[in-house]
Amino acid sequence: MKTRSFLAFVAPSVASMLILIALPLVGVAYLSLHQSRVKTELVELTTEIPLVGGLTRKQTRVVPQSVLDEDGMPIQIWEYVGGRNLAKAGEFKGIAKAIGNPRGGSEEKGYLSRLYRDITNFEFWAALEFTLLYTFLTTPAILIVGLALALAVNSVSKRLRGTLVFATLLPMIVTPVVSSLAIYWLFMDNAIITNFIEYLGFGKFYFLADKITIRTLIILYGVWFAAPFAFIILYAGLQTMPRDPLESAMIDGANKWQRLRYVIIPHLGPLLTVITLIHVMDAYRVFEPILVFNADVFANSVQYLTYFALAFQDNIHKAAAYSILTIVGVIILLIPVLRKSFREYRIKT
Amino acid sequence: MKTRSSLLFQSLTGTGLTAWVVIAVFPFFWMFLISFRAPVDAFSSTPTFFAPMSLENFRHIWIEDGFWRFAINTTIVTVATIAISLTIGCLAGYALARYRGSLGFWLLVAALVFRALPHVVLLTAYKPAFYELGIWSRYETLIVVLVAINQPFTIWMLRAFFISIPRELDEAALIDGCSRWKAFRLVIVPVMWPGVITAGLFSFLLAYNDFLIASQLMNGEMTTMTASLGNYMGQNKSMERLMHGIAGAVSVTIPIILLIFIFQRQIVAGMTAGAVKG
Repeated sequence: MKTRSFLAFVAPSVASMLILIALPLVGVAYLSLHQSRVKTELVELTTEIPLVGGLTRKQTRVVPQSVLDEDGMPIQIWEYVGGRNLAKAGEFKGIAKAIGNPRGGSEEKGYLSRLYRDITNFEFWAALEFTLLYTFLTTPAILIVGLALALAVNSVSKRLRGTLVFATLLPMIVTPVVSSLAIYWLFMDNAIITNFIEYLGFGKFYFLADKITIRTLIILYGVWFAAPFAFIILYAGLQTMPRDPLESAMIDGANKWQRLRYVIIPHLGPLLTVITLIHVMDAYRVFEPILVFNADVFANSVQYLTYFALAFQDNIHKAAAYSILTIVGVIILLIPVLRKSFREYRIKT
Repeated sequence: MKTRSSLLFQSLTGTGLTAWVVIAVFPFFWMFLISFRAPVDAFSSTPTFFAPMSLENFRHIWIEDGFWRFAINTTIVTVATIAISLTIGCLAGYALARYRGSLGFWLLVAALVFRALPHVVLLTAYKPAFYELGIWSRYETLIVVLVAINQPFTIWMLRAFFISIPRELDEAALIDGCSRWKAFRLVIVPVMWPGVITAGLFSFLLAYNDFLIASQLMNGEMTTMTASLGNYMGQNKSMERLMHGIAGAVSVTIPIILLIFIFQRQIVAGMTAGAVKG
């Protein structure tokens, strides 16, 4: 294909991405470097204050009031602040101080535990901590669960497989807000599982009001939600598995575990890498369970933190600073992928 | 050769699969079941499988809370998003599958980075910009935004499908004197539908499942079904309101379940194509 016709074919798609993805990224950088406020002026305001018996007294006060333009809209002042928003969002000074001499709480003794306490006291770093915890705990879990499911489904009769795949697709494909809510409605106060645990005699659990249980719940949700994805891909990988190596392994007397370890897993190796890469990208964006479980006090994510600054605090500059830090994280996570595809590309050309 | 250990293994597999099906399905099953109940029965201290059922929650949310309006909004937005997304995505995916230059590689790398971006990053820029431009809370705005954030994924997936269509097909047409465009239209378009349907399913899921963007860019009556569920969240809501939210969540889930019923094969094919070849 000639470069000219290539450019013509990709033009609409590229234009949409340039205008609505690339340009906004520039915009976010711009927002993070600026600070805006409504322009105010001091005006004298005279009011009549009622006294006893219909008498009034005039009182004059000086109050700040926003300045309006011709259309009656408040005038905004924008000023360039350089890296100040970023430094504030990332709490870099506080981090440096904590590394030098962490104070910790009253309980922590060791350097690392005091440092951990100090760092997770900062909003952004607390969110990053849980985001990474979520990412690195769910990734191996979905690989194991997905592989176990793929092997199990592969071993049952063909008639059952369709139903099993259908059931498995549900947690992954149903709208994430809805699937988070479905879990939330099982574990809230007086919900079926909470009541059932109480009925069994384990006492009353407040799953959503305790740091350990809510974090566990969100991570389990993540596994439940993402394992089907790993399953589908590994299951497809098992269908393309050649029969010969498995049969020769059996003739050589390999047991089930050895066949899995030395024949099946090496065959699925590239797929395991792909699943890991895609899941890490998706896990870094975890949002819905934090929103639905109202978990941000105990378990925040970088995406929810930014959303909160944008939607509830209405602070675009703070949100932009968090966004920039988030993008830095995305790029760090993507470096291995980018390097790999770049190497493959160099080999091809 | 049925040994005892293989029998044990079979029963273990059976138990594990049964447990998984219960875990995968139960949250949705329970949500469906309690959506027909009154709050007392839905969150009773001793959970029951049999309780009086009524359509009251559904009646309330669909008619009194105006959920029908959000359903119409969702339909307009998802249909338009899928149509535009596939049209421009097919052109780009086809070109990426046939072009050998380095520009194609860089475009794919950029798309990969864009796909990894958390959507809230883009939202941060959209919010002040769309407000300033006066295009806040309009169908067109949400549609073009969803099309754009769909593109990276769509072009990767469609590229994988177009690669699997033999090159010789359109090259023969080119030799016969067709232009690229004509070769695409006459030779490729008739055979591309299986791939397009799969990519369309994923476009649908992305647009339909989106909460983050719709909840921020659309307000009041313009919002989508998924985003409107935000009105029913939070702990300080009454039990009645919670029940209406459950009915709403069930209403959002039904089209997805139908979709899996009809298109299970294509969904599986699409996921594996994207992962194995991408």
